[in-house]
Amino acid sequence: MRIFSFAKNVLLPLALVVRLAATPVAQCYKIEDVSFPDNVPAEVGGIAFDANGKMYVALRRGDILTATKTADAQAFDWKLFATGFDNALGITVPEPGRILVVQMPEATEATDTDGDGLADRYRKLTDGWGLSGNYHEVNSMTPDGHGGLYIGLGTASHRSPTFFHTRGEYSAIGRRGRNYSSVKYRGWTMHLLANGTLEPFASGFRVINGIMVDDQGVIWSSDNQGDWKATTPFYHLEKGHFYGHVSSRIWEDGWPVGKDPLMFYRHDLDTYNKDRTRAAIEIPHEMIHSGSEPIQLPRTGEFGGFGGQILLPDDSGRCIARLMLEQVDGEYQGAATLFLSGMGLHVSNTRLCFSPDKKTLYIGQTARGWGMSREKDTEGMQRITWLGGTPFTIEKMNITPAGFRLTFTEPVNDAARAAAAYAVHSMTYQSRWVYGGEAENELDNAVTKVTTIDSRTVEIAVDSFTPGRVYRLRLADSLKSAAGEAVHQPEFFYTANRIPRAP
Amino acid sequence: MTSRFLLLPCLLVCGLATATAVPPLLTYNNRPAGTAAEPLVLRTYLPDPDLDDSVFAHHDRGSATPEYSPEKGEDIPGTVVPLKGIPAAIAVNFGPALSYVFDSTEGRVLYAWQGGFLDMYPYWGDKGLGVRLFDYTPKLVGTLFYKASGPNPLEIDGRSVSELGRPDFVGYDLVEREPVFIVRYGPYTVKTHVRQAAESLGLQVSFSVEPAAHLSYRSEDARLKVAQKNATPATLDVSLTGAAIATYNGYEKMVKITKASAAAGRDLYQNYSCSVCHSTDGSMGHGPTWARLYGHEVTLADDTKVMADEAYLLESIKDPNAKITKGFAPNFMPPYPKLTQVEYDSLILFIKSISQPE
Repeated sequence: MRIFSFAKNVLLPLALVVRLAATPVAQCYKIEDVSFPDNVPAEVGGIAFDANGKMYVALRRGDILTATKTADAQAFDWKLFATGFDNALGITVPEPGRILVVQMPEATEATDTDGDGLADRYRKLTDGWGLSGNYHEVNSMTPDGHGGLYIGLGTASHRSPTFFHTRGEYSAIGRRGRNYSSVKYRGWTMHLLANGTLEPFASGFRVINGIMVDDQGVIWSSDNQGDWKATTPFYHLEKGHFYGHVSSRIWEDGWPVGKDPLMFYRHDLDTYNKDRTRAAIEIPHEMIHSGSEPIQLPRTGEFGGFGGQILLPDDSGRCIARLMLEQVDGEYQGAATLFLSGMGLHVSNTRLCFSPDKKTLYIGQTARGWGMSREKDTEGMQRITWLGGTPFTIEKMNITPAGFRLTFTEPVNDAARAAAAYAVHSMTYQSRWVYGGEAENELDNAVTKVTTIDSRTVEIAVDSFTPGRVYRLRLADSLKSAAGEAVHQPEFFYTANRIPRAP
Repeated sequence: MTSRFLLLPCLLVCGLATATAVPPLLTYNNRPAGTAAEPLVLRTYLPDPDLDDSVFAHHDRGSATPEYSPEKGEDIPGTVVPLKGIPAAIAVNFGPALSYVFDSTEGRVLYAWQGGFLDMYPYWGDKGLGVRLFDYTPKLVGTLFYKASGPNPLEIDGRSVSELGRPDFVGYDLVEREPVFIVRYGPYTVKTHVRQAAESLGLQVSFSVEPAAHLSYRSEDARLKVAQKNATPATLDVSLTGAAIATYNGYEKMVKITKASAAAGRDLYQNYSCSVCHSTDGSMGHGPTWARLYGHEVTLADDTKVMADEAYLLESIKDPNAKITKGFAPNFMPPYPKLTQVEYDSLILFIKSISQPE
C-alpha cells in the first residue's frame, strides 16, 4: 500500500513531466474488475451516469442498480433502483431518479416520484415494434442529443421459431432466412423523437448491438458478422438507407407486396450491392468478432490520446478496437486497429460508458446466455483508467491518392523510412446469405515508396492501389519509435471504399 | 418526559427501517420470488398455459415455416413450428399465495396461479453453464386456477372494453410496492390492481376508470365464482375464485438415455443447445459445423492440424479450450465434463452419422 502510493505520487508525475518516449501500453491504462453483490449475475446490458455522478446499471434479469463509484472498485454501494425489465440493453438518465430504458418489448421511463430511491412509476414511451417470441430480438439505444432516442432492433435467429401469437403484424416472408424479420421493424434502427413519435430510420441490420451519436452529431453503429454481414461493419447511419441485412426490407414503405427480399437478393448480388450502403469500416473476423457499443474518446485529453476517435468493444473477444475515420469525397471511411487486447479484459465486452470526469471508461460485459468461459469472466464490469502516456502506434491512418499517410504517436526510427517496414495485403468481402465471409480477391500490394513528412509522419505508396478493397497493413518488428519502443498492435485494416484523386 | 425521550429514537429507527427496506436483488436463483409485502414484478417471455385463441385478439399469428439451410440459402425438407409463449406480458408474484400474468398487448390479466412462480432455467440458464435452451420460455411452478377466455370481461357502461379497439398500455405505478396497471381503451383510462384473495385459489381485482363510467364484469367461465361490487361510481371490486386447472413443477431435466445411439445424440444436440452454435449442414455458426467433421482434418488456431477422431471429439466436448479450431473464439463454448458415458457416446455417434456428404 505504501509502496503503491509512493509510486503513484512520485513516479507517475515524473513520468508525465519527463515524457521523452512512448509509454508501454500496460503503464498507460489500468484495468480493474468492479465487483457486484454476492450471487448477483453481473450481466450488464447498459451503463449510464446521472448529473450527480451516480451510476445506473441495467442487468439482464430485470434489475437496475445504482452505485456511487469509489476509488476501490470492490466497494461500490450497489442498491436496487428499479426492476421488472425484460432484457434491458440500453439506459440513459435524463435527471437523477428518472431513467429511460430500452427493453425487449418497449422503451420505458421509470421514475422515483417519492424520493425513496426506488422507481415507483413505470411508463411506456413506445412499443412501436413487434416481438415474435424469438429469443434473439434484442435491442440497443443511444440518446439523440435532443431529448429523443435512437433504438436498434435486432433480428430473430433461425435457431429458434417465433411464438404462435406474436405481438404486432406477422410476415411469413419476413420469417424466412437465417436471421429474420417476421415482425415489424426487426433489423431497423428507429428514431423516437422527444415528442413521442417513433419513426423508422434505417434498415438492413442483423444484430445492431451498439449505436452512438458523436460530438459532431453524426450517428454510428456496429453490427454483428453473420448472414449478409461478411465482416463486423461500422456504419455511418443516415435516414432511409439500407445497410445490407435483407429481411428488414419487408417492412419498408413501398416494398412490393409478396416480394421476398431473401430470394430476390440471394439471386441478384449486383442489385444487392447497388441497393445497400456499405460500411465505413469493415473489420475482418481476425481482428474482432462481434462489434457492440461504440464510444467516442474525449478530445480534451482526460483519457489520453486519440481524442475524437471511436472505440468499439468486441462482444466475443478480449479486446477493444480503435477506429480512425475520415471523409473522402464527402463519405466516411477509415481504419481499425486494436486499442487494447488481453491485459485482463474479460470476454463479452458489450457496453462502454465514460465516468462524468471522462477519466475512467466503464465496460459492461455479458454473454446473454452464450455460454460461460472456463475463466468465468463472460459477465461483469471492468473499468479502464488512463494513467498517463501514449503507447507507440499509428495515431492516424489517412488515405492518399497513392497509398496511406501514417502519423505515429512518437517520432519513428530510420527503419520506418524503408519499404521493408510495411507489408500491405488487400482483399474484398462480399456479404451474402451465408454466415460471415472469407476474404476474396486477395492481393499482396508492394510498398513502392516511403516518403518522410516529418519526424513522426510518413507516406507509403502502395502498388495496385484500387478502391473497393480492404487494405491490411502490418508493421515490421524493425519499425520502432526513435527512442526504440516496439509498436503496440502492429495490424491495421483500412476500408478504401474511395480513393481521393491527386490534386 | 421519559416516554417522549424514548419515542423519538424509536421513530427514527422505525423510519430508517422503512426507508432502507429495499426488495432483494435478482440472483442466480432460477426460481425468483416476491413476498406479500414485496411483490416481484418480472417481465420476460412467459409460458402460455393453453389459453384460448380468443384471448389473443390483439396479437397476430406466427405460422409454420419451411426449414431453411443457411449454407444453401434455400428451403430444405422439413417444417419449423412456432412455440407457445406470450411475448410482452408481465408476471407478478406475491410469494406462494399468488402469481398472475398481466399482458400489455391484450390489456388484461391472462392467468393466475398459486404455490409457486416461474422456473427461469430455460432462459436464464445455469450459473456454471449459461446456455439457454431451445424452448427458452420459463416454466410455471404451482397450481393454475384462473385462465382468461373470450373477450375482455371488463365492461364500461355495459360494453366490453374489447369493443373499444386495440388496448393502449400506458404503464404501471407501484402502490405500496404492488403494481397498478394502466391501460387506455378508446376514450377510457382504466387502472387494474390485483391483490391476494382471502380464500385459496382466488384473486381480488380492483378497477377504476376515468372519465367516470359504470364498470361491470362479465363472467368468463361457469366454473369461476365471481363476486362484484361498485364501492364508488367509477370503481369495481371483483373477487374471482377458481378451481385447480393444472399443476406445474417447473423445468424437468432431460430424458434418460440407456443405450448410446445417433438418434439419442441428436436429442442431446437440441437439449444441451449445441444447435445454437454448431450446424449440421455445413453452414457457419458461432462454433464449427458438425457436418463432415468426424474423420476429417481440423486446422487449429496455431495452424497445426489434428484429426477429428473420437478422442478429439470427446476432448472438445469435455474441455473445449484444449484445442481451438482456427477462426473461432476460445472460451466461447462451456465445458461439458460431467455428462454420462452414454451421453458422450451418443453425441459422438451423432457427429459420426453426419460425417459424410448426404
